[in-house]
Order: sequence, then C-alpha cells, then structure tokens
Amino acid sequence: MIQYLDLWKAYDQPVLQGVGFTVEEGEMFGIFGPSGTGKSVLLKTTIGLIDLDRGDVLVEGDSVYRGGKAALQRARHRVGYVFQNAALFDSFDVHENVRMGLPEGELKRMKRVEATRRIWDALELVNLNPAEVLKKMPVELSGGMRKRVGIARAIVGRPGILLWDEPTTGLDPVNTAAVERLIVRLSNELKVTSVIVTHDIHGGLDMCDRVAMLYAGRLRFIGTPEAFQESEDSVVRAFVDRAVALAALDEVQV
Amino acid sequence: MGLLITRSARALVTLQVSPREVLNQIYVIGVQSIPIVLVTAVLAGIVTSQQGGYQFQGAVPLYVLGSIVVASVVLELGPVLTAIVLSGRVGARITAELGTMKVSEQLDAYHAVGRDPIAILAAPRILASLISVPVLVAMANLVGVLAGMVAARATLGLGYESFLYGARLFWHNWDLFYSMTKAVTFSLAIPIISIHMGFRTKGGAAGVGRATTASVMFMILTILILDAFFPPLLLQ
Repeated sequence: MIQYLDLWKAYDQPVLQGVGFTVEEGEMFGIFGPSGTGKSVLLKTTIGLIDLDRGDVLVEGDSVYRGGKAALQRARHRVGYVFQNAALFDSFDVHENVRMGLPEGELKRMKRVEATRRIWDALELVNLNPAEVLKKMPVELSGGMRKRVGIARAIVGRPGILLWDEPTTGLDPVNTAAVERLIVRLSNELKVTSVIVTHDIHGGLDMCDRVAMLYAGRLRFIGTPEAFQESEDSVVRAFVDRAVALAALDEVQV
Repeated sequence: MGLLITRSARALVTLQVSPREVLNQIYVIGVQSIPIVLVTAVLAGIVTSQQGGYQFQGAVPLYVLGSIVVASVVLELGPVLTAIVLSGRVGARITAELGTMKVSEQLDAYHAVGRDPIAILAAPRILASLISVPVLVAMANLVGVLAGMVAARATLGLGYESFLYGARLFWHNWDLFYSMTKAVTFSLAIPIISIHMGFRTKGGAAGVGRATTASVMFMILTILILDAFFPPLLLQ
C-alpha cells in the first residue's frame, strides 16, 4: 500500500498543492493529467527522488520523507521504477543494467549463477532474448527494447510495487499495445501494486482498477475508470474529449 | 558542493568505490590527457626560453636562463597550464557526461535501484584525478624544462651544461613541493567543480551545454584564484 499524504511542492510555480490519496495493495492505479501538472513529480515522491516542501509518502508503512535513511532504502527496495525514457545507464551493457536492479545487499549474498539466472528470467519476462541482448549497450537497442530492459531492471529485484512513468511515450502503436499487454501480464504474474502515470487515457482506463486526474497540482478526480468516463466535471470532460479526439486522429494517421 | 565532498570522502574511506571504475577513470583523466599536456608543456618551455633569452642577451649572463626556465615551468606554467588544459579536456567531459545522465534521469535511476551515484560516479573520478593530475604535472614540468633547454641551445647557442649550471644555481627543493602542492589542489578542484555542475544540470541538451560552459569558466577562474594564494602562503 502507498499513502500520499498532503504533498506540496513548488519550483517557480506550484506543482503539487495538497495532493493526498492511497493506493491499495495489489491495485493497478492510473494517474492522468495534462503535461506539466505534476504527475511525474508525484510518482518520484514515492521513492524520495524529489524534495517535498510539505507532506510525506508511506510505502508499506515506511515513511519516505521522515523515516530516515533506512526507511527510505527499504521503500526503494520494495519499489521498481520504470522511467519515461528507460534511463538505462549508458556506460553499462544490458546485463549490468539489469543487474543494478538487484538490491546491493542481496547481490553480495547471491552466487553469480543465481544473479545471472534472475537477470535472464527478468529479460525473458519482458519478451527479450537474453542471449541476444545481454552484451549489447543501450545505444545499440531500439526504443521498444530499451523500454523493456528498463522494465526488466525494475522487476529483477522482485519488488512488491511497480511505478510506471509514461511507459508508452515515444513508442509506435504496435509497441504501445505490446507494452500495455506487458504491464497487465507482469502485474498479474508478479502480483504487484502498480501506479501508472500516463497520458494514454484509453490504455490507462483499460488497464487500471482506479484512476486519478491531476490538474494544476491538485487532485481533480479519483475513482473507477467507469466513473471517470462518466464524470460531469468540466476539466475531466474536456480532458476525456480531447483524448478521444487525439486517439481518433492517431487512427486516421496510422 | 559540501555534501558532494563529504559523501565522496566517506565513499572512499569506506571502500565503496569500484577499483575497476577508478582504473577506467585514471585512463580517461590521466593516460588520455598525456598528449595534450605534453604538447602544452613543450610549447610553454620553448616560449619561456625564447622570451628569457631575448630579455637577457647583452645584460645578464645567459646561463641564468636555465634558472628562469626551470622556475617558471616548475612553479607556475607546469601546474597551472596543465590544470587549465585539464579543465577543458577532463572537466568539460565530466560535466557533460554527468549532466546528460542527470537530464536523462540516469541519476534518479541510481537512487531508484538503491545505489548512491556519488559513490559510483563522483568518488572514482575524484580519486582518479587525485592520482593522475600530480603525475601529469610532474611530466609537464620535466618535458617543459627539457623543451626550454633544447630551444635555448638551438636558438641562443646556450649549451646544456651552462643551462643546467644556471638551473642548479637557483634551485630549491621546496620548489618541487610547491609545484606538487598546486597539482594536488587543482586535482581536487577540477573534478569537484565539474561533478557538482554536472549533478545540478537541468533543462535538456541546452542545459547540458550551459552547464558545461559554466563549469569550464568556473574551473579556470578557480584555478587562477587558488594559484594567486600560493605565493603568499608557500613562497615567503
């Protein structure tokens, strides 16, 4: 379970203004919103990547911002984070990139064969052929493959929570559908709690148990996908209608 | 910057730094810099020798040129020019590399997988610089003096014996300590500034460009300011 408690953050202007909600265990939770409304900032607070002005996040009861270094480290070990552009380490090959996802303490106790097996398993789970990609550098991979390696790095440590920051951004429709299927399959097979930040409203509504919408740094909506689509809130309505129009445009272009 | 220094020091003391990464950085910072450092030292030695010869001819015994070249190169040109060259070659590279990692969220990714980017990225670079830069300065000193000696003989007719006689006449062992102290100081200033600037980069590719430019300017200024403190502190 993740509890976001009254989060406040401002840079030049406010980004999060008193955002608070709870993601239940095993739930797939989607966060929508126009660009620049603080979705990624919100996701990053889950593992303390952003300094908050006020508020706290509890990951399985551990306070990320007030629990000290040990609590933060525990929270980070419980969470796998899939970055928007994969954020693979440029100077490491695929094997080393995925290996970095194994918690350091666990890695020290683990035999090399066991670590390699975990890396192979993670790559196979994301439909990559380990023998083919293990020695490749990130620069040699396509966008879709980079994303999958990023996912493999996030799941190799067997986290209980997966955070997905715009998992389908920059992918073509075929890869988008493939990654969305992968998210659902991984969430079911690994039985993890997932939080997905996305602007792909259709994919998000199909996948998620509950969704929220951030607007101007505030929580504008939280509820089921059905309630979201039927919402009478003018901002939610405008966002849904615009997304429908853009999706229609995409279909025409494809 | 204080946090960077203390956390890097802690990572080094607690042996959290990968020896392989330190060796890799010694290759990048030290070995790959040898050609440009030596070329700079040769040119500095030649110019010092030529200008000294021009000023001394007919007024001061020419063998004094040996002292002037050695003192100029060892006390000033060797460490300072090497540090300035390294600011451009090594410092800019570090800032651009870490800045790119920052804007592409790779630094966040290190935190996300529970690793400390300071131990993995900063500490090895600082240690490698601490090892490499004094060696490069020593090489620059030696090559600069030799180049000055050869240039004095070729253009002014000052024999090697006379050059070395002049060099020995005014030599103090302290000068070498002074030169190496500067080298060690600069060897810390370059990576600390460049890493700090890389870590605080924001704003995509343009931000990396801005951070790199600012980093090089800041490094060169810092080197010149630190250099100005050495004579009153160590040459009294």
